Amino acid sequence: MIIKILGSGCAKCNRLEQLTREAVAELGIEATFEHVKEMDKIMAYPIMTTPALVVDEQVKVAGRIPSKAELVGLLKAG
Amino acid sequence: MNWMMTALQGGLDSLVSYLAAHVLLCLVPAFFIAGALAALVPQQSIIRFLGPDAPKWKSYSAAAGAGSLLAVCSCTIQPLFAGIYKKGAGLGPAVTFLFFAPAANILALAYTGVALGAEFATARILLALSFGIGIGMIMAIIFRETDVARVAGAQTFAEGGGIPGKTLLFIGALVALLISGTLKLDFLQAVLFATELPWGGATAIQQTLDRWVPVDEAVGAEGLSLQGAILIALLAAIGVFAWRGLGKVDAGFNRCTPIALGLTILTLVFAALGCKVNDAGIALTVTGRSLAVTLFCLALIPLARRFDPWDVQQWLWESGRFVKQIFPLLVVGVFLVGVIRVFIQPEWIRMVAGENTVLANLAGVVFGVFMYFPTLVEVPIARMFLSLGMHPGPLIAYLMADPELSLQSILITAAIIGKLRAWTYVGLVALFSTVSGLSYGAWVDGTSSWLLAGVIGGFIALIIGTLNWIEAQRKTLEEVKA
Repeated sequence: MIIKILGSGCAKCNRLEQLTREAVAELGIEATFEHVKEMDKIMAYPIMTTPALVVDEQVKVAGRIPSKAELVGLLKAG
Repeated sequence: MNWMMTALQGGLDSLVSYLAAHVLLCLVPAFFIAGALAALVPQQSIIRFLGPDAPKWKSYSAAAGAGSLLAVCSCTIQPLFAGIYKKGAGLGPAVTFLFFAPAANILALAYTGVALGAEFATARILLALSFGIGIGMIMAIIFRETDVARVAGAQTFAEGGGIPGKTLLFIGALVALLISGTLKLDFLQAVLFATELPWGGATAIQQTLDRWVPVDEAVGAEGLSLQGAILIALLAAIGVFAWRGLGKVDAGFNRCTPIALGLTILTLVFAALGCKVNDAGIALTVTGRSLAVTLFCLALIPLARRFDPWDVQQWLWESGRFVKQIFPLLVVGVFLVGVIRVFIQPEWIRMVAGENTVLANLAGVVFGVFMYFPTLVEVPIARMFLSLGMHPGPLIAYLMADPELSLQSILITAAIIGKLRAWTYVGLVALFSTVSGLSYGAWVDGTSSWLLAGVIGGFIALIIGTLNWIEAQRKTLEEVKA
Protein backbone atom coordinates (compact mmCIF):
# COMPACT_ATOMS: atom_id res chain seq x y z
CA MET A 1 0.00 0.00 0.00
CA ILE A 2 1.40 3.41 -0.94
CA ILE A 3 0.24 6.26 1.26
CA LYS A 4 0.86 9.86 0.24
CA ILE A 5 0.32 12.89 2.43
CA LEU A 6 -0.17 16.04 0.35
CA GLY A 7 0.66 19.31 2.03
CA SER A 8 3.16 22.11 2.21
CA GLY A 9 4.67 20.83 5.46
CA CYS A 10 2.44 22.82 7.80
CA ALA A 11 1.44 21.68 11.28
CA LYS A 12 -1.80 20.12 10.05
CA CYS A 13 -0.02 18.07 7.39
CA ASN A 14 2.47 16.67 9.89
CA ARG A 15 -0.37 15.89 12.26
CA LEU A 16 -2.21 13.95 9.52
CA GLU A 17 0.94 11.97 8.71
CA GLN A 18 1.47 11.12 12.37
CA LEU A 19 -2.14 9.97 12.83
CA THR A 20 -2.01 7.88 9.65
CA ARG A 21 1.22 6.21 10.77
CA GLU A 22 -0.44 5.36 14.07
CA ALA A 23 -3.47 3.91 12.28
CA VAL A 24 -1.20 1.82 10.01
CA ALA A 25 0.69 0.52 13.01
CA GLU A 26 -2.60 -0.36 14.71
CA LEU A 27 -3.76 -2.37 11.72
CA GLY A 28 -0.34 -3.96 11.28
CA ILE A 29 -0.33 -3.50 7.50
CA GLU A 30 2.60 -2.87 5.16
CA ALA A 31 2.70 0.65 3.79
CA THR A 32 5.24 3.09 2.36
CA PHE A 33 4.81 6.76 3.19
CA GLU A 34 5.53 9.73 1.00
CA HIS A 35 5.06 13.38 2.00
CA VAL A 36 4.41 15.34 -1.19
CA LYS A 37 5.34 18.98 -0.75
CA GLU A 38 5.70 20.32 -4.32
CA MET A 39 2.67 22.42 -5.26
CA ASP A 40 2.72 21.11 -8.87
CA LYS A 41 2.52 17.50 -7.76
CA ILE A 42 -0.16 18.29 -5.19
CA MET A 43 -2.25 20.05 -7.81
CA ALA A 44 -2.12 16.96 -10.04
CA TYR A 45 -4.68 15.41 -7.68
CA PRO A 46 -8.31 16.51 -7.73
CA ILE A 47 -8.09 18.53 -4.53
CA MET A 48 -8.23 22.21 -3.59
CA THR A 49 -7.24 22.08 0.02
CA THR A 50 -4.49 20.50 2.06
CA PRO A 51 -3.71 18.39 3.99
CA ALA A 52 -4.88 15.48 1.85
CA LEU A 53 -4.51 11.73 2.20
CA VAL A 54 -3.95 9.63 -0.93
CA VAL A 55 -3.99 5.84 -0.68
CA ASP A 56 -2.84 3.97 -3.79
CA GLU A 57 -3.46 7.11 -5.91
CA GLN A 58 -7.03 7.47 -4.59
CA VAL A 59 -7.84 10.68 -2.72
CA LYS A 60 -9.40 9.64 0.57
CA VAL A 61 -9.52 12.87 2.56
CA ALA A 62 -8.83 16.52 1.68
CA GLY A 63 -8.75 19.69 3.74
CA ARG A 64 -9.31 18.20 7.16
CA ILE A 65 -7.84 15.80 9.69
CA PRO A 66 -10.00 12.72 10.24
CA SER A 67 -10.05 10.96 13.60
CA LYS A 68 -7.93 7.86 14.02
CA ALA A 69 -11.03 5.65 14.02
CA GLU A 70 -12.03 7.06 10.64
CA LEU A 71 -8.49 6.58 9.31
CA VAL A 72 -8.48 2.94 10.39
CA GLY A 73 -11.77 2.44 8.57
CA LEU A 74 -10.43 4.11 5.42
CA LEU A 75 -7.26 2.02 5.40
CA LYS A 76 -9.16 -1.22 5.99
CA ALA A 77 -11.39 -0.53 3.01
CA GLY A 78 -8.24 -0.15 0.94
CA MET B 1 22.47 54.37 28.94
CA ASN B 2 19.67 56.80 29.37
CA TRP B 3 18.34 56.50 25.84
CA MET B 4 18.37 52.73 26.17
CA MET B 5 16.20 52.91 29.29
CA THR B 6 13.81 55.22 27.46
CA ALA B 7 13.63 52.80 24.56
CA LEU B 8 13.00 49.77 26.80
CA GLN B 9 10.40 51.74 28.74
CA GLY B 10 8.71 52.56 25.43
CA GLY B 11 8.61 48.89 24.50
CA LEU B 12 7.23 47.92 27.92
CA ASP B 13 4.55 50.62 27.82
CA SER B 14 3.36 49.50 24.44
CA LEU B 15 3.38 45.82 25.47
CA VAL B 16 1.39 46.18 28.70
CA SER B 17 -1.23 48.46 27.19
CA TYR B 18 -1.52 46.00 24.31
CA LEU B 19 -1.94 42.99 26.61
CA ALA B 20 -4.27 44.67 29.07
CA ALA B 21 -6.41 46.75 26.77
CA HIS B 22 -6.43 45.57 23.19
CA VAL B 23 -6.01 41.88 23.24
CA LEU B 24 -8.46 40.39 25.57
CA LEU B 25 -12.01 40.95 24.51
CA CYS B 26 -11.05 41.03 20.86
CA LEU B 27 -8.17 38.69 20.13
CA VAL B 28 -9.08 35.89 22.55
CA PRO B 29 -12.53 35.30 21.00
CA ALA B 30 -11.05 35.94 17.54
CA PHE B 31 -8.52 33.12 17.98
CA PHE B 32 -11.35 30.77 18.96
CA ILE B 33 -13.40 31.89 15.95
CA ALA B 34 -10.43 31.31 13.66
CA GLY B 35 -10.05 27.84 15.15
CA ALA B 36 -13.74 27.11 14.60
CA LEU B 37 -13.58 28.30 10.99
CA ALA B 38 -10.55 26.10 10.32
CA ALA B 39 -11.85 23.01 12.08
CA LEU B 40 -15.64 23.04 11.78
CA VAL B 41 -16.53 24.65 8.44
CA PRO B 42 -16.47 22.01 5.70
CA GLN B 43 -14.29 23.50 2.99
CA GLN B 44 -16.31 21.81 0.27
CA SER B 45 -19.30 23.98 1.20
CA ILE B 46 -17.59 26.98 -0.39
CA ILE B 47 -15.33 25.28 -2.92
CA ARG B 48 -18.32 23.81 -4.75
CA PHE B 49 -19.16 27.32 -6.02
CA LEU B 50 -15.69 27.76 -7.50
CA GLY B 51 -15.90 25.31 -10.41
CA PRO B 52 -14.90 26.38 -13.93
CA ASP B 53 -18.51 26.54 -15.13
CA ALA B 54 -19.86 28.61 -12.26
CA PRO B 55 -21.44 31.94 -13.29
CA LYS B 56 -19.20 34.98 -12.71
CA TRP B 57 -21.13 36.58 -9.88
CA LYS B 58 -21.14 33.29 -8.00
CA SER B 59 -17.46 32.53 -8.45
CA TYR B 60 -16.29 36.03 -7.47
CA SER B 61 -18.42 36.11 -4.33
CA ALA B 62 -17.41 32.55 -3.41
CA ALA B 63 -13.75 33.52 -3.88
CA ALA B 64 -14.22 36.42 -1.47
CA GLY B 65 -16.05 34.12 0.96
CA ALA B 66 -13.24 31.57 0.77
CA GLY B 67 -10.82 34.40 1.48
CA SER B 68 -12.47 35.36 4.73
CA LEU B 69 -13.81 31.99 5.91
CA LEU B 70 -11.28 29.38 4.84
CA ALA B 71 -8.00 31.24 4.63
CA VAL B 72 -7.46 32.08 8.29
CA CYS B 73 -4.35 29.94 8.07
CA SER B 74 -1.62 30.97 5.67
CA CYS B 75 -0.92 27.34 4.79
CA THR B 76 -4.33 27.07 3.12
CA ILE B 77 -3.88 30.22 1.02
CA GLN B 78 -1.35 28.78 -1.40
CA PRO B 79 -3.15 25.52 -2.34
CA LEU B 80 -6.52 27.28 -2.54
CA PHE B 81 -5.09 29.99 -4.78
CA ALA B 82 -3.39 27.46 -7.05
CA GLY B 83 -6.54 25.33 -7.07
CA ILE B 84 -8.92 28.15 -7.99
CA TYR B 85 -6.54 29.28 -10.72
CA LYS B 86 -5.59 25.95 -12.28
CA LYS B 87 -8.71 23.85 -11.89
CA GLY B 88 -11.55 26.12 -11.03
CA ALA B 89 -12.97 29.51 -11.74
CA GLY B 90 -9.74 30.90 -13.21
CA LEU B 91 -7.42 33.84 -12.81
CA GLY B 92 -10.00 36.50 -11.88
CA PRO B 93 -11.58 34.83 -8.82
CA ALA B 94 -8.15 33.46 -7.79
CA VAL B 95 -6.81 37.02 -7.66
CA THR B 96 -9.89 38.21 -5.77
CA PHE B 97 -9.26 35.45 -3.23
CA LEU B 98 -5.57 36.35 -2.93
CA PHE B 99 -6.33 40.03 -2.39
CA PHE B 100 -9.23 39.60 0.00
CA ALA B 101 -7.83 36.90 2.30
CA PRO B 102 -5.23 38.86 4.32
CA ALA B 103 -7.45 41.91 4.85
CA ALA B 104 -10.71 40.19 5.68
CA ASN B 105 -9.88 37.28 7.93
CA ILE B 106 -11.44 37.45 11.35
CA LEU B 107 -8.20 38.03 13.27
CA ALA B 108 -7.13 41.00 11.15
CA LEU B 109 -10.60 42.57 11.24
CA ALA B 110 -11.15 42.17 14.97
CA TYR B 111 -7.74 43.52 15.84
CA THR B 112 -8.00 46.47 13.44
CA GLY B 113 -11.39 47.33 14.89
CA VAL B 114 -10.16 47.43 18.47
CA ALA B 115 -6.73 48.98 18.00
CA LEU B 116 -7.61 51.55 15.34
CA GLY B 117 -11.38 51.91 15.53
CA ALA B 118 -14.42 50.46 13.83
CA GLU B 119 -14.16 52.92 10.92
CA PHE B 120 -10.77 51.59 9.90
CA ALA B 121 -12.01 48.00 10.08
CA THR B 122 -15.08 48.82 7.97
CA ALA B 123 -12.98 50.77 5.46
CA ARG B 124 -10.50 47.90 5.28
CA ILE B 125 -13.13 45.26 4.49
CA LEU B 126 -15.21 47.40 2.08
CA LEU B 127 -12.20 48.64 0.13
CA ALA B 128 -10.60 45.19 0.04
CA LEU B 129 -13.84 43.64 -1.21
CA SER B 130 -14.53 46.15 -3.97
CA PHE B 131 -10.93 46.44 -5.12
CA GLY B 132 -10.32 42.70 -4.78
CA ILE B 133 -13.17 41.99 -7.18
CA GLY B 134 -12.10 44.92 -9.39
CA ILE B 135 -8.49 43.76 -9.66
CA GLY B 136 -9.63 40.17 -10.27
CA MET B 137 -11.84 41.26 -13.18
CA ILE B 138 -9.11 43.45 -14.67
CA MET B 139 -6.58 40.63 -14.49
CA ALA B 140 -9.10 38.23 -16.08
CA ILE B 141 -9.62 40.64 -18.99
CA ILE B 142 -5.93 41.49 -19.53
CA PHE B 143 -4.88 37.86 -19.65
CA ARG B 144 -7.97 36.45 -21.31
CA GLU B 145 -6.16 35.10 -24.39
CA THR B 146 -3.35 33.39 -22.55
CA ASP B 147 -5.45 31.84 -19.81
CA VAL B 148 -4.38 28.22 -19.50
CA ALA B 149 -6.68 25.44 -20.54
CA ARG B 150 -7.90 24.21 -17.21
CA VAL B 151 -8.73 20.63 -16.49
CA ALA B 152 -11.38 20.18 -13.92
CA GLY B 153 -11.85 16.89 -12.20
CA ALA B 154 -15.56 16.65 -11.48
CA GLN B 155 -14.57 15.19 -8.12
CA THR B 156 -12.84 18.40 -7.07
CA PHE B 157 -16.02 20.44 -7.14
CA ALA B 158 -18.39 17.66 -6.17
CA GLU B 159 -21.48 18.91 -4.37
CA GLY B 160 -20.87 18.86 -0.67
CA GLY B 161 -23.49 19.88 1.81
CA GLY B 162 -23.77 23.43 3.08
CA ILE B 163 -22.43 24.55 6.43
CA PRO B 164 -24.35 22.65 9.14
CA GLY B 165 -26.77 24.65 11.30
CA LYS B 166 -25.04 23.82 14.57
CA THR B 167 -21.73 25.13 13.21
CA LEU B 168 -23.37 28.38 12.10
CA LEU B 169 -25.02 28.79 15.49
CA PHE B 170 -21.76 28.08 17.32
CA ILE B 171 -19.71 30.51 15.24
CA GLY B 172 -22.55 33.02 15.53
CA ALA B 173 -22.36 32.84 19.33
CA LEU B 174 -18.57 33.32 19.23
CA VAL B 175 -18.95 36.33 16.95
CA ALA B 176 -21.64 37.75 19.27
CA LEU B 177 -19.19 37.35 22.15
CA LEU B 178 -16.52 39.19 20.20
CA ILE B 179 -18.89 42.00 19.23
CA SER B 180 -20.42 42.41 22.69
CA GLY B 181 -16.93 42.58 24.16
CA THR B 182 -15.63 45.27 21.87
CA LEU B 183 -18.37 47.43 20.38
CA LYS B 184 -18.94 50.83 21.97
CA LEU B 185 -22.74 50.85 22.11
CA ASP B 186 -24.81 52.71 24.68
CA PHE B 187 -26.70 49.74 26.10
CA LEU B 188 -23.44 47.82 26.48
CA GLN B 189 -21.85 50.66 28.40
CA ALA B 190 -24.86 51.39 30.60
CA VAL B 191 -24.16 50.75 34.30
CA LEU B 192 -26.50 48.17 35.80
CA PHE B 193 -25.00 47.77 39.23
CA ALA B 194 -22.17 49.47 41.12
CA THR B 195 -20.45 48.68 44.38
CA GLU B 196 -17.39 49.72 46.39
CA LEU B 197 -14.84 47.28 47.73
CA PRO B 198 -13.11 48.99 50.64
CA TRP B 199 -9.44 48.03 50.39
CA GLY B 200 -6.72 50.52 51.26
CA GLY B 201 -3.96 48.49 49.64
CA ALA B 202 -5.36 49.09 46.15
CA THR B 203 -4.17 52.68 46.01
CA ALA B 204 -0.64 51.72 46.97
CA ILE B 205 -0.49 49.04 44.30
CA GLN B 206 -1.86 51.41 41.69
CA GLN B 207 0.84 53.95 42.61
CA THR B 208 3.54 51.31 42.14
CA LEU B 209 2.08 50.36 38.78
CA ASP B 210 2.00 54.02 37.75
CA ARG B 211 5.67 54.32 38.62
CA TRP B 212 6.60 51.27 36.54
CA VAL B 213 4.46 52.20 33.59
CA PRO B 214 3.87 55.96 33.62
CA VAL B 215 0.82 57.38 31.88
CA ASP B 216 1.84 59.83 29.17
CA GLU B 217 -0.96 60.90 26.86
CA ALA B 218 1.43 62.84 24.63
CA VAL B 219 3.32 59.77 23.44
CA GLY B 220 0.32 57.45 23.55
CA ALA B 221 1.36 55.53 26.68
CA GLU B 222 -1.83 54.45 28.42
CA GLY B 223 -0.30 53.18 31.63
CA LEU B 224 -1.37 50.07 33.47
CA SER B 225 -4.39 49.82 35.77
CA LEU B 226 -4.75 47.35 38.61
CA GLN B 227 -7.35 45.52 36.55
CA GLY B 228 -4.91 45.41 33.62
CA ALA B 229 -2.21 43.91 35.83
CA ILE B 230 -4.56 41.18 37.06
CA LEU B 231 -5.63 40.48 33.48
CA ILE B 232 -2.02 40.07 32.36
CA ALA B 233 -1.46 37.63 35.24
CA LEU B 234 -4.58 35.71 34.18
CA LEU B 235 -3.34 35.65 30.57
CA ALA B 236 -0.04 34.17 31.76
CA ALA B 237 -1.94 31.52 33.73
CA ILE B 238 -4.01 30.66 30.63
CA GLY B 239 -0.79 30.37 28.68
CA VAL B 240 0.64 27.86 31.15
CA PHE B 241 -2.44 25.63 31.16
CA ALA B 242 -3.23 26.02 27.47
CA TRP B 243 0.22 24.71 26.55
CA ARG B 244 -0.93 21.20 27.50
CA GLY B 245 -4.67 21.81 27.67
CA LEU B 246 -5.07 23.03 24.10
CA GLY B 247 -1.76 22.01 22.54
CA LYS B 248 -2.22 18.32 23.31
CA VAL B 249 -6.01 18.17 23.14
CA ASP B 250 -5.92 16.27 19.83
CA ALA B 251 -4.85 13.18 21.75
CA GLY B 252 -7.92 13.49 23.95
CA PHE B 253 -9.14 15.96 26.57
CA ASN B 254 -6.72 16.21 29.46
CA ARG B 255 -6.88 17.73 32.91
CA CYS B 256 -5.48 21.07 31.75
CA THR B 257 -8.19 21.54 29.10
CA PRO B 258 -11.09 22.49 31.41
CA ILE B 259 -8.74 24.61 33.55
CA ALA B 260 -7.52 26.56 30.51
CA LEU B 261 -11.07 27.06 29.22
CA GLY B 262 -12.40 28.01 32.67
CA LEU B 263 -9.62 30.55 33.10
CA THR B 264 -10.36 31.96 29.65
CA ILE B 265 -14.02 32.50 30.53
CA LEU B 266 -13.05 34.01 33.90
CA THR B 267 -10.60 36.37 32.20
CA LEU B 268 -13.14 37.49 29.60
CA VAL B 269 -15.81 38.13 32.23
CA PHE B 270 -13.37 39.99 34.48
CA ALA B 271 -12.14 42.10 31.56
CA ALA B 272 -15.74 43.11 30.87
CA LEU B 273 -16.23 44.42 34.40
CA GLY B 274 -15.69 48.07 35.19
CA CYS B 275 -13.00 48.38 37.84
CA LYS B 276 -11.48 51.65 39.07
CA VAL B 277 -9.12 52.28 41.95
CA ASN B 278 -9.99 55.30 44.14
CA ASP B 279 -8.93 56.52 47.58
CA ALA B 280 -11.36 54.29 49.49
CA GLY B 281 -10.68 51.09 47.57
CA ILE B 282 -11.98 49.64 44.33
CA ALA B 283 -15.16 50.75 42.57
CA LEU B 284 -16.70 47.82 40.70
CA THR B 285 -19.35 48.37 38.03
CA VAL B 286 -21.39 45.76 36.22
CA THR B 287 -22.38 47.05 32.79
CA GLY B 288 -24.47 45.68 29.96
CA ARG B 289 -21.19 44.47 28.48
CA SER B 290 -20.32 42.37 31.55
CA LEU B 291 -23.72 40.74 31.38
CA ALA B 292 -23.60 40.10 27.63
CA VAL B 293 -20.09 38.62 27.74
CA THR B 294 -21.03 36.30 30.61
CA LEU B 295 -24.22 35.17 28.87
CA PHE B 296 -22.50 34.38 25.57
CA CYS B 297 -19.65 32.53 27.34
CA LEU B 298 -22.18 30.34 29.13
CA ALA B 299 -24.24 29.84 25.97
CA LEU B 300 -21.19 28.38 24.24
CA ILE B 301 -21.03 25.38 26.56
CA PRO B 302 -24.32 23.67 25.54
CA LEU B 303 -23.68 24.65 21.91
CA ALA B 304 -20.25 22.99 21.97
CA ARG B 305 -21.72 19.81 23.47
CA ARG B 306 -23.73 19.24 20.31
CA PHE B 307 -20.55 18.43 18.36
CA ASP B 308 -18.64 15.14 18.33
CA PRO B 309 -15.80 15.14 20.86
CA TRP B 310 -13.36 14.83 17.92
CA ASP B 311 -14.71 18.05 16.35
CA VAL B 312 -14.41 19.92 19.65
CA GLN B 313 -10.84 18.64 20.05
CA GLN B 314 -10.03 19.81 16.53
CA TRP B 315 -11.53 23.22 17.28
CA LEU B 316 -9.49 23.67 20.46
CA TRP B 317 -6.33 22.32 18.85
CA GLU B 318 -6.66 24.71 15.90
CA SER B 319 -7.35 27.67 18.21
CA GLY B 320 -4.31 26.79 20.30
CA ARG B 321 -2.22 26.46 17.16
CA PHE B 322 -3.23 29.93 15.95
CA VAL B 323 -2.27 31.40 19.29
CA LYS B 324 1.10 29.60 19.26
CA GLN B 325 1.76 30.66 15.68
CA ILE B 326 0.74 34.30 15.85
CA PHE B 327 0.88 35.45 19.45
CA PRO B 328 4.66 35.28 20.13
CA LEU B 329 5.43 37.22 16.95
CA LEU B 330 2.78 39.75 17.86
CA VAL B 331 4.20 40.25 21.37
CA VAL B 332 7.72 40.76 20.01
CA GLY B 333 6.35 43.00 17.26
CA VAL B 334 4.37 45.18 19.68
CA PHE B 335 7.38 45.52 21.98
CA LEU B 336 9.65 46.54 19.09
CA VAL B 337 7.07 49.01 17.81
CA GLY B 338 7.10 50.63 21.25
CA VAL B 339 10.91 50.84 21.17
CA ILE B 340 11.03 52.30 17.68
CA ARG B 341 8.28 54.76 18.56
CA VAL B 342 10.70 56.50 20.92
CA PHE B 343 13.11 57.31 18.11
CA ILE B 344 10.72 58.56 15.47
CA GLN B 345 10.03 62.27 15.47
CA PRO B 346 6.38 63.12 14.78
CA GLU B 347 7.61 65.88 12.43
CA TRP B 348 9.08 63.32 10.01
CA ILE B 349 5.81 61.44 9.72
CA ARG B 350 3.79 64.63 9.38
CA MET B 351 6.13 65.89 6.69
CA VAL B 352 5.84 62.73 4.59
CA ALA B 353 2.27 61.65 5.27
CA GLY B 354 0.52 64.30 7.32
CA GLU B 355 -1.76 65.32 4.47
CA ASN B 356 -3.93 63.26 2.17
CA THR B 357 -1.92 63.73 -1.04
CA VAL B 358 -1.04 61.32 -3.86
CA LEU B 359 2.59 61.41 -2.78
CA ALA B 360 1.75 60.67 0.85
CA ASN B 361 -0.41 57.71 -0.19
CA LEU B 362 2.32 56.41 -2.46
CA ALA B 363 4.75 56.65 0.46
CA GLY B 364 2.38 54.51 2.54
CA VAL B 365 2.19 51.90 -0.24
CA VAL B 366 5.97 51.81 -0.80
CA PHE B 367 6.57 51.36 2.92
CA GLY B 368 4.04 48.52 2.93
CA VAL B 369 5.66 46.72 -0.02
CA PHE B 370 9.25 46.89 1.16
CA MET B 371 8.65 46.17 4.83
CA TYR B 372 7.60 42.67 5.67
CA PHE B 373 5.86 42.19 8.99
CA PRO B 374 4.38 38.94 10.31
CA THR B 375 0.60 38.53 10.32
CA LEU B 376 -1.25 41.19 12.35
CA VAL B 377 1.89 43.17 13.30
CA GLU B 378 0.85 45.67 10.64
CA VAL B 379 -1.89 46.80 13.04
CA PRO B 380 0.28 48.06 15.96
CA ILE B 381 2.57 49.65 13.40
CA ALA B 382 -0.38 51.46 11.87
CA ARG B 383 -1.42 52.52 15.38
CA MET B 384 2.02 53.97 15.98
CA PHE B 385 1.86 55.95 12.73
CA LEU B 386 -1.61 57.21 13.61
CA SER B 387 -0.46 58.45 17.03
CA LEU B 388 2.53 60.13 15.37
CA GLY B 389 0.21 62.19 13.21
CA MET B 390 -0.14 60.23 9.98
CA HIS B 391 -3.26 61.10 8.02
CA PRO B 392 -5.87 58.26 7.97
CA GLY B 393 -5.76 58.18 4.14
CA PRO B 394 -2.10 57.18 3.72
CA LEU B 395 -2.59 54.89 6.71
CA ILE B 396 -5.27 52.91 4.87
CA ALA B 397 -3.03 52.86 1.78
CA TYR B 398 -0.34 51.29 3.95
CA LEU B 399 -2.78 48.83 5.58
CA MET B 400 -4.01 47.71 2.16
CA ALA B 401 -0.55 47.25 0.66
CA ASP B 402 1.36 45.71 3.55
CA PRO B 403 -0.40 42.33 3.95
CA GLU B 404 -1.11 41.98 0.22
CA LEU B 405 2.37 42.63 -1.04
CA SER B 406 5.62 41.43 0.35
CA LEU B 407 8.58 40.02 -1.50
CA GLN B 408 7.69 36.56 -0.24
CA SER B 409 4.08 36.63 -1.42
CA ILE B 410 5.11 38.10 -4.78
CA LEU B 411 7.52 35.20 -5.36
CA ILE B 412 4.93 32.56 -4.43
CA THR B 413 2.38 34.20 -6.70
CA ALA B 414 4.90 34.37 -9.55
CA ALA B 415 5.62 30.64 -9.22
CA ILE B 416 1.94 29.80 -9.63
CA ILE B 417 0.66 32.25 -12.25
CA GLY B 418 3.88 33.36 -13.97
CA LYS B 419 6.10 36.42 -13.66
CA LEU B 420 4.27 38.76 -16.05
CA ARG B 421 0.92 38.18 -14.38
CA ALA B 422 2.37 38.44 -10.89
CA TRP B 423 4.01 41.79 -11.59
CA THR B 424 0.87 43.09 -13.27
CA TYR B 425 -0.96 42.11 -10.09
CA VAL B 426 1.61 43.92 -7.95
CA GLY B 427 1.24 47.05 -10.07
CA LEU B 428 -2.54 46.94 -9.81
CA VAL B 429 -2.46 46.43 -6.03
CA ALA B 430 -0.09 49.38 -5.65
CA LEU B 431 -2.37 51.54 -7.81
CA PHE B 432 -5.53 50.50 -6.04
CA SER B 433 -4.02 50.84 -2.56
CA THR B 434 -3.12 54.41 -3.41
CA VAL B 435 -6.67 55.02 -4.66
CA SER B 436 -8.11 53.43 -1.47
CA GLY B 437 -5.98 55.71 0.68
CA LEU B 438 -6.91 58.79 -1.29
CA SER B 439 -10.62 58.05 -1.15
CA TYR B 440 -10.66 57.10 2.54
CA GLY B 441 -8.63 60.20 3.33
CA ALA B 442 -11.06 62.34 1.37
CA TRP B 443 -13.96 60.74 3.25
CA VAL B 444 -12.31 61.53 6.60
CA ASP B 445 -11.74 65.09 5.42
CA GLY B 446 -15.46 65.43 4.78
CA THR B 447 -16.13 64.57 1.14
CA SER B 448 -19.59 63.01 0.77
CA SER B 449 -19.54 59.22 0.61
CA TRP B 450 -21.98 59.11 -2.34
CA LEU B 451 -19.67 61.27 -4.43
CA LEU B 452 -16.70 59.06 -3.52
CA ALA B 453 -18.58 55.84 -4.28
CA GLY B 454 -19.52 57.32 -7.63
CA VAL B 455 -15.96 58.34 -8.44
CA ILE B 456 -14.49 54.95 -7.41
CA GLY B 457 -17.22 53.04 -9.24
CA GLY B 458 -16.64 55.21 -12.31
CA PHE B 459 -12.88 54.63 -12.09
CA ILE B 460 -13.25 50.82 -12.03
CA ALA B 461 -15.96 50.87 -14.71
CA LEU B 462 -13.71 53.03 -16.90
CA ILE B 463 -10.77 50.60 -16.62
CA ILE B 464 -12.90 47.52 -17.24
CA GLY B 465 -14.76 49.26 -20.09
CA THR B 466 -11.50 50.34 -21.77
CA LEU B 467 -10.01 46.88 -21.48
CA ASN B 468 -13.16 45.31 -22.91
CA TRP B 469 -13.12 47.79 -25.78
CA ILE B 470 -9.44 47.06 -26.61
CA GLU B 471 -10.21 43.36 -26.53
CA ALA B 472 -13.17 43.80 -28.89
CA GLN B 473 -11.06 45.92 -31.29
CA ARG B 474 -8.38 43.25 -31.36
CA LYS B 475 -10.93 40.54 -32.11
CA THR B 476 -12.40 42.48 -35.05
CA LEU B 477 -8.89 43.09 -36.40
CA GLU B 478 -8.15 39.39 -36.25
CA GLU B 479 -11.41 38.57 -37.98
CA VAL B 480 -10.64 41.05 -40.77
CA LYS B 481 -7.22 39.49 -41.24
CA ALA B 482 -8.68 36.03 -41.39
